[in-house]
Amino acid sequence: MIRNILKKIAEIVLILVILSFFVFLLLYIAPGDPAEKRLTSQGVAITKQVLDAERERLGLLKPFLVRYGEWLLSVIRGDFGISFKDDMPVAPKLYKGLLNTFFLAFTSLSVSLIVSFILGVSSALRKDSMLDHAVRIYSFIANSLPNFLISVLLMYFFCIKLNIFPVIASGNIQGLVMPVLCLSIPMTGRFIRQIRTEVLNQMNEDYVMGMKCRGVKKHYIALNIIRNSLGHIFTIVAIQIGTLMGGSVVIEAIFRWPGIGKLVMDSISARDYPVIMGFVLIMGTIYIVVNTLSDMLDKVLDPRIEKD
Amino acid sequence: MKKRLLTLMMTAVLALSAVACTSAGVGNETVTDGTETTEAAETSGDATQETVEIDEGNSGSSDKILRTAASFAYASLDVHKEYYGWYTSIYGVSETLFKMDENMNAVPMLAEDAVADGSVWTITLKDGVAFSNGNPLTADMAVRNLQRLAEVNERFAYLADFEMTAVDDKTFTVDTGDVYPTLRNELASPEFGMMDLDATTDFDNDPICTGPFVISKFQPEGDVEVVRNENYWGGDVNLAGAVFYYMQEDDPKLLAMQSGEIDCYNSVSSAALAVYEQEPDKYNVVSIPGARLQFYILNENTLDDAVREAINLTVDKDKIAEYLSGTVSPAVGPFNTNAAYGKVTVPAVDTAKAKEILEADGYMLNADGFYEKDGERLTINIKYYAARSLDTIAILIQEQLKEVGIDSILGVEEDPDATYIATGDFDLALYCMIADKAGDPLYFIESTLMDGAYYDCGGFDDAHCEELIGELKYETDTVKRAELANEIIQIAIDDNAFGYVGLFNSTTVLRPGVSGFAETIPFDFYGIDADTTIE
Repeated sequence: MIRNILKKIAEIVLILVILSFFVFLLLYIAPGDPAEKRLTSQGVAITKQVLDAERERLGLLKPFLVRYGEWLLSVIRGDFGISFKDDMPVAPKLYKGLLNTFFLAFTSLSVSLIVSFILGVSSALRKDSMLDHAVRIYSFIANSLPNFLISVLLMYFFCIKLNIFPVIASGNIQGLVMPVLCLSIPMTGRFIRQIRTEVLNQMNEDYVMGMKCRGVKKHYIALNIIRNSLGHIFTIVAIQIGTLMGGSVVIEAIFRWPGIGKLVMDSISARDYPVIMGFVLIMGTIYIVVNTLSDMLDKVLDPRIEKD
Repeated sequence: MKKRLLTLMMTAVLALSAVACTSAGVGNETVTDGTETTEAAETSGDATQETVEIDEGNSGSSDKILRTAASFAYASLDVHKEYYGWYTSIYGVSETLFKMDENMNAVPMLAEDAVADGSVWTITLKDGVAFSNGNPLTADMAVRNLQRLAEVNERFAYLADFEMTAVDDKTFTVDTGDVYPTLRNELASPEFGMMDLDATTDFDNDPICTGPFVISKFQPEGDVEVVRNENYWGGDVNLAGAVFYYMQEDDPKLLAMQSGEIDCYNSVSSAALAVYEQEPDKYNVVSIPGARLQFYILNENTLDDAVREAINLTVDKDKIAEYLSGTVSPAVGPFNTNAAYGKVTVPAVDTAKAKEILEADGYMLNADGFYEKDGERLTINIKYYAARSLDTIAILIQEQLKEVGIDSILGVEEDPDATYIATGDFDLALYCMIADKAGDPLYFIESTLMDGAYYDCGGFDDAHCEELIGELKYETDTVKRAELANEIIQIAIDDNAFGYVGLFNSTTVLRPGVSGFAETIPFDFYGIDADTTIE
């Protein structure tokens, strides 16, 4: 057991080192200069001397391997470096952005899962009923709508027409409702379809037929179907967690939510390599850990996977 | 085993969510003073709002708080670093020795006057100027501010070469070595804002300055709140305070204006402008040509004289400005035509003449309706980047060129400075920059026309122009400076080295009764001041 855990940790570290090397390389190759971005951020022209001095100060004139080595050593020491954009430490920026995004992602995911589970299972158990048709139409539309459109429509409807929420919301519960709604609507569209399909697949399994023949009560059959569908549903959720933690740039920008997505987009525009690298490392870790946990959970919920 | 694992996971999720709940939405706010703005911020949660008022008595004429949207937010308020001084100036917190006025003149602000005698400038401070903590602004403090600016901001490192001496409490001298006619204008740049270097303990979050407002709440890269400086040296301050909501996107700004959550904002988009103009009784829109220029560089290394001339005779700036629906004013030269150094002329659009010129140069229309020479189609390589409406302008120019028979290929780059500006790989390169940063033409001319300048990447080279730029550098008489600048720019226009397309309009929308939000000043770095009013 301990050996397996150590092996897994070593695998994760190796993947992260390889990932960070290639991302660092891609950033090095990609056009764009953090010094120039920083100096001309307001559209003011600069001279070559000023640009060169800034490049020197930021350490951009050093060879690639030296820069990567310095960054890696610094990360091993627990220091993510200083932002190229504003000379502020990277770690607090990432920490704050990640926490805000986690809060938004967790709330949206919880809302989506509850709604999708109820509607998806009900829809499958009452296949071809009016409810099923209505739910399918909803999931189709919700899945098709882009985030920015949902955001602006909801804002217009709730803030201007109904006057229920403010356009400018701060980080309180009231300010959470709109971004959660905007993230949840397309997510429920995806989840409902997947849950419905999985439940329908389970309903066609032999064990369901067997239970029906043996006269097992309907609610007990339904519970078994739901239990056996959970493995698949958890895999979908695990993938979605990774996507959500990557941040929703549009939602964060429109609703002024200081999350990681917007931070990273701004950092990419500014070629703020230390922030981008820190983000890659943290997100890589989250993806690997969540997927590992999802695999473990699958095995717990469906012992046949372990046997296979 | 299953139960334990599930319990463990549930506990982890609950613990993480609890941590997130306690911190999410709360930035690293620095609350420095004033309960008034906290009240304003809380009230902003209401969907329908009237102008926020506070009860506390103040020396000013109003107890109202202005709410506005800011498109940018930074991690620091250190006036001297980066461009943070632009924002402390917009917030009405920092002030400079001189200030740009509506006519692009540097007029006294904290300084009484600045007089040059050869390379030595003598600057006299106004009587009674004091920081918000009551400490007076002395000549020694002003000198130390300039020295600090040179240390912490690479763009102003040249100040370290100047010898600066405090003569007495109110007077200091700056010996620039060579004659330096633009110092007065440069002192109006917001990065030259004065801070109390002895009393300020937290430059990033709470700089002590001379402005009519002081920071009461600062959220790095987020919202900023200011309250009236009760010790303002310049007299009464109308507003009790202001809130600057960080809002990057255009649509939420429009909706916030419609819902009454903000009183004004600038950099209004064309879509929002169309909405505001339909309801003139509800919104007051002020639009003036700004200092940000959209232009193109014609590559003299790849295009011959006739083609460049034909392009400039074809590109219709008026139609482009019309298409961009009020966000841009057609440019004649790089500067506002109201400025003394903005008096240049360009030939009127004449597509027939453009065709004649091309045909005289040996080009002939082929069966596809495009000009060709020696069997090779005339195709212009247009490079642009997708910002500041340059993408739209690129398409419009392509269409206009097509109408006269000039084919073109559009190439978009994410980072123009690192690509086509650096390599010169273009026939026509679109770019946008601030052409007039402090009421003087030298900066733009040195950046784009001087031999070896970073943006002189199209091969423009003229000995007479270079000579005139040399004169402009040292000319102290403003009238002669304007004449020289006009002559230099005219040479570049006549050589068809550039095409000056449009000046971004500085467009501000205000609720009726709101005024003094720098809506008539064509520079981006001004916002509220002592005179900003809500009726």
